[in-house]
Amino acid sequence: MIEEATEQSVRETYLNKEQGILSWLLTTDHKRIGILYTISITFFFFLGGFFALLMRLELIDPRNWLVSAETYNKLFTMHGIIMVWFFLIPSIPNTLGNFVLPMALGAKDLAFPKLNLASWYVFMLGAAVTIFALFRGGVDTGWTFYTPFSTTYSTTYVTAATVGVFINGFSSIMTGLNFIATVHRMRAPGLTWYKLPIFVWSHYATSIIFVLATPVLATTLLMVAVERIFQVGIFDPRLGGDPVLFQHMFWFYSHPAVYIMVLPAMAVVSEIIPAFSRKPLFGYKAVAYSSIAIATIGFLVWGHHMFVAGISAYSAMSFSILSYFVAVPSAIKVFNWTATVYRGAVSWDTPMLYAIGFVGLFTIGGMTGLFLAALGLDVHLTDTYFVIAHFHYIMVGGTVMAYLGGVHYWWPKISGKLYPEGLARLSAVTIFLGFNLTFFPQFVLGYLGMPRRYAAYPEEFQFLNILSTAGASILGVGYVMPLFYLLWSWKYGKEAGPNPWRATGLEWQTSSPPPKHNFEETPIITTSLPYPYEEMKEELGLVQTR
Amino acid sequence: MSKLDEAFEVKPPEVLELREQFATPDQQRQTAMVGIWIFLITEVLLFGALFTAFTVYRLSDPQGFDLGSKDMDTVLGSVNTAVLICSSFTMALSVYFAELGKRKSLALFLILTMLIGTAFLAIKFTEYHSHWVDHKVPGLWFEDHSPHAAKIEMFFVFYFIMTGLHALHMTIGLGVLTVLLFRTAIGSITAEYHTPIEVGGLYWHFIDIVWIYLYAIFYIPGIHLK
Amino acid sequence: MKEPVVSIRTYTITWLALLILALATTLLGFLNLGPFSMGIAILIATAKAALVVAFFMHGRYESKLIHVIIAAGVIWFLIMISNTLGDYITRGRLPVPGK
Repeated sequence: MIEEATEQSVRETYLNKEQGILSWLLTTDHKRIGILYTISITFFFFLGGFFALLMRLELIDPRNWLVSAETYNKLFTMHGIIMVWFFLIPSIPNTLGNFVLPMALGAKDLAFPKLNLASWYVFMLGAAVTIFALFRGGVDTGWTFYTPFSTTYSTTYVTAATVGVFINGFSSIMTGLNFIATVHRMRAPGLTWYKLPIFVWSHYATSIIFVLATPVLATTLLMVAVERIFQVGIFDPRLGGDPVLFQHMFWFYSHPAVYIMVLPAMAVVSEIIPAFSRKPLFGYKAVAYSSIAIATIGFLVWGHHMFVAGISAYSAMSFSILSYFVAVPSAIKVFNWTATVYRGAVSWDTPMLYAIGFVGLFTIGGMTGLFLAALGLDVHLTDTYFVIAHFHYIMVGGTVMAYLGGVHYWWPKISGKLYPEGLARLSAVTIFLGFNLTFFPQFVLGYLGMPRRYAAYPEEFQFLNILSTAGASILGVGYVMPLFYLLWSWKYGKEAGPNPWRATGLEWQTSSPPPKHNFEETPIITTSLPYPYEEMKEELGLVQTR
Repeated sequence: MSKLDEAFEVKPPEVLELREQFATPDQQRQTAMVGIWIFLITEVLLFGALFTAFTVYRLSDPQGFDLGSKDMDTVLGSVNTAVLICSSFTMALSVYFAELGKRKSLALFLILTMLIGTAFLAIKFTEYHSHWVDHKVPGLWFEDHSPHAAKIEMFFVFYFIMTGLHALHMTIGLGVLTVLLFRTAIGSITAEYHTPIEVGGLYWHFIDIVWIYLYAIFYIPGIHLK
Repeated sequence: MKEPVVSIRTYTITWLALLILALATTLLGFLNLGPFSMGIAILIATAKAALVVAFFMHGRYESKLIHVIIAAGVIWFLIMISNTLGDYITRGRLPVPGK
């Protein structure tokens, strides 16, 4: 039953039902926990971004001019650690996933609400330990903690940083466990698997990776910490240890981790594109299965980070060809998103701008991954700016844009207010332009041979570096804008109503902001399709599609 | 009733039974089962990574690792294996009596499980002590003068990390059992609602399985060298 | 009151089987089977684990979802160990240094 948008001060919502700081810090409401996470990751995004800003400033000039080389090592390490574990991995699942998933299932909450709250506290504890390492001078091993430098030679706070990330990992595991149990056992009556929105499928696939990959990271970091504290030689060649074994174990987690970062982004895009094309997602089952395929095949390719590390040629060949396979389900998704837009009644609201931006930039990022998957090319391109551009196209051009798109898309649901569309479109375009100016030159730089993680570089690379830094400053402006207008709209924005986008999906069948238990009554599913734009045409008040 | 009284009030199982987010007690129980099994496979991967690393290192020098295994106390290790198997048996029986709602038998078998589990830890620490006396504790006091010393040290590194992690899990398990015993004592476990016992039992059995594998890789290979 | 999932008889048989297999593992150690002793020990351990999962942990009586979860854990561990070992085992087979 769609509730009319009444005066918010009269109607009880999850925001005003209980008040006071303790009601937020002790909440078990998935929506409030989603907001707690959003505040945390926003802080970490800007902290990680601050380190990136310093790096880009340093790289304006080919010589070391701003910071020492040792400090530069710490900058890229802290940037990586914070962005990967304290921003990207929780960015969509723990914010939008937490908020939307139970609603998309017609449930009152996740399966284990207290575990959900605990996961946020564990996350913050991991953050505190990592920030401690930061304040004590930072870490200089790179976010990849390669041995034996991290175990034997680095004099920075490696143990603290690994412990911080170790703790953070448990937050991931708790989230993944919660999501899987929820999707299996908390669906509303009539909501079969093939009626679930792709948002759910993709978060389910993400959760599989959460629970299967993260424990291996925990063990790996534990071994690094043990080696440092007790001076035993697990990865120390002098004791018969093998540094490459560290890489195997680290990448067993960290490659699937990148799919943790991108699958939720795809989840968001798979919701936005049908909504703003006013038609069902094309090839629904293919997209659903692709999510699972990405999660599964993603576990088989980790060796492509180790092609030049000394693994056997046969192993390298196997990882290479599997890396080509893993691109296929992603490509399937791109084709299906495109087909969804085709002949749709498209409206270019901000979420759609971000979603289409995602599709383009993710495609570029993904395709450049294929260059890197080719053994011969990788020898030339590995550890250059080509790799950096590749993963930033996916992480930033992909995930961050999808995250922002999702925030804008569900903002009316979360806050009950509409954000200012003009400003929002302006920042989306600013971000898109700034992003490309920042990272496209880096592909060229990498191809030309500029190594990554270098504070100083040959002079001939300076022009492209200046372009990149200029782009970064534009990008920074683009990112700061939503912070202001979104917060402004929370207080002063127009009332949104239950379904301002006229989208399908159970979350739009309840009021904005929703009541504490999401729905006045448990929804009963009567439509036959996951994106029933045709069936719900009248109910949604849609213009007839062409 | 004050808020504090409310918090400590012993609630009857029918109230405890159903959490807000669930529609039926059966949904709650099934969800709990899904949850604990997923948790257990995260533990499989956690320990599995250590088993993987161990196997890689063993591959490169099986003789060295066998020599390390020779220094293990076969008797204590075998006794510990039997001990844990017995504790799994008593734990399974606890669940059995919980299903029947027989609180006293449930409590008895929980206590038995805890006692046997404590015996395991006691034996384990006896072994650790003897390794210390023999100077076989890497990082703290390790001495070996055979040609395979580096590999033997690596063996012991894995021995201490893996059995240590296992012992930590056992200790946590004892804590879990204590909580279960408490809940049984205050009457919140019945035939209709005994999910906590099942969940605790699953965790306990899993720890037993990890030991079964640890026994196989650390204690067995060196026996023939003694 | 529902019948218990597993009878005391089944538990007892499982317990005894586990003890016997544990004894077998130990006796196996006295034989010098060289590289195979660890492999066979692991095999027996797996048999024991299977018994614990099936009967003590009620694995045999649980839903298909639980079976899939258990299988996923085992399979993923096998993926990790086989692909990692796969690298080490195939090293040095090409007449190229370092490969």
